[in-house]
Amino acid sequence: MTLWRLEILRVLRTRRWIALGAVYIGFGLLGPLGAKYLAEILKLAGTDADGVTITFPTPVPADGMAQYVDNALQVGTIVAVVVAAGALAFDAIPEMGVFLRTRVTSVWGILVPRLVVSFALCSAAFVLGTATAWYETWALLGPLSASAVAWGTLLGILFTAFLVALVAAVAQWSKGVLGTVLVSLVVLIVLPLLGIVHAIQVWLPTRLGGALTELTSGTPASDFWRSSLVALLAIVGLLALAARGARRREI
Amino acid sequence: MISTRALTKRYGTTTALDDINLRVPDGSIYGLAGPNGAGKTTILGIIAGLKKATSGEVILGAAPHEVAVLSDTPQFEKWLTGREVVALSLELASPGADAARVDKVLAETGLTEAAGRRVGGYSRGMLQRLGIAATLVSRPRLLLLDEPASALDPQGRREVLDLITRLRGTATVLFSSHILADVQEVCDTVGILRGGRLLFQGPLHELLVGSAVPRYEIRLRGDTAPAIAALRRAPWVTLVREFDAGEIVVEVRSIREAEAGLPRALAEAGASVVSLRPEEVSLERAFLELTQ
Repeated sequence: MTLWRLEILRVLRTRRWIALGAVYIGFGLLGPLGAKYLAEILKLAGTDADGVTITFPTPVPADGMAQYVDNALQVGTIVAVVVAAGALAFDAIPEMGVFLRTRVTSVWGILVPRLVVSFALCSAAFVLGTATAWYETWALLGPLSASAVAWGTLLGILFTAFLVALVAAVAQWSKGVLGTVLVSLVVLIVLPLLGIVHAIQVWLPTRLGGALTELTSGTPASDFWRSSLVALLAIVGLLALAARGARRREI
Repeated sequence: MISTRALTKRYGTTTALDDINLRVPDGSIYGLAGPNGAGKTTILGIIAGLKKATSGEVILGAAPHEVAVLSDTPQFEKWLTGREVVALSLELASPGADAARVDKVLAETGLTEAAGRRVGGYSRGMLQRLGIAATLVSRPRLLLLDEPASALDPQGRREVLDLITRLRGTATVLFSSHILADVQEVCDTVGILRGGRLLFQGPLHELLVGSAVPRYEIRLRGDTAPAIAALRRAPWVTLVREFDAGEIVVEVRSIREAEAGLPRALAEAGASVVSLRPEEVSLERAFLELTQ
């Protein structure tokens, strides 16, 4: 039994993989379906009020991916933060923290497996959801550029790494899983709000979460170099912050 | 094995530990006794590297991987089995060690039958024993045990104390407890802590003999008044207290004076003596006399 196996067992036995997989694959299935049949769904729901008729443009393939990303970016991010916080806030129950901390020579020994497994799980769920949405979009709305999807997926994975590193840093400086989740979500909500100013938006790492939508709509991948660079630097900084917090914490 | 020099810990304006100079001899079972809030857990936390001292230093005679720590209410991931918890502890402390050691320690702590069950279904006593198994599995040279038996029922407490006693000679144990009977039973060296200050430190017998006022328990038949009056007149008697059924407790200045004068004083008073014996000094009494 190693700390790596411990993390894999955490994923399997607490059924976190089901929660993440269900959210991403579920939205991967429903997103393109919603884009294709949105007009019919709203017509059935009776939104044609007071003689006003809403006309929807004919859906294009990019709409399928956009629907998936919109939903996955919101609910998926919340679930990913909760899952990562559950693993990374290892002092949330002090007695468990004592057990681990007094048996390793460095806090990295505890942090690294939790970081890697959380990142791998969230990334795998995102990739599977994206693959599902891509297939569904192709089947219902038409083909998407493979390179746009591939770049969008890569940038989405980079966003996932940023998210996990953020949760790791917050977990070592706040108390408990709930505090970690709340602070992390506040950061992830506030950052995009700064993007109201376009000059700032192009640098924000949170922009990467929606890169699939922009890329499949025709934005070139080169447009994301600034947010990718900031994300990479932020990941390094957040991991250093997490290690510093873990070292200085007293339990 | 452990020595601390002027160890002090402050939380804001509150002093949790004040100038502690702990000396834990190699191979000893050292009992750190004191009421709740005395600073026992803080000392253990600093020695274990879980807390930082405000000032002072800790010198350990064991490498970090040779030190094992048990918190007062051990908890583990509820979805792990007992065997997995002990195996994880062994792998972290002694990578590549013989896995057969896991089942051996589980057997020693009475957890063989429950070893395959998930920890979430364990009782508090079982968790405590699992914590001890996870602590012992790597054969540490130094064990830091924080109130290891205080949360257990009498049988569980008995088992834990027996386990600690069996460690004598194989490891050094620093063991904190507010249950003085436990400390007196298993420890050879004690430290008395109150309000963050170390009031006494040394061999247990020194504390019992050195700190407590000598007392004798006397049982008399018939009228006890002449004997009590005679004892109260004796200059080496500091206190005479009578209980029911002719039972008297006499506090004396020194054992030597009492041994010479007590039988004589009783005989001169014409007392009919049923029994006379020195009161066995308990750690509890020594502790109370030291701290009051």
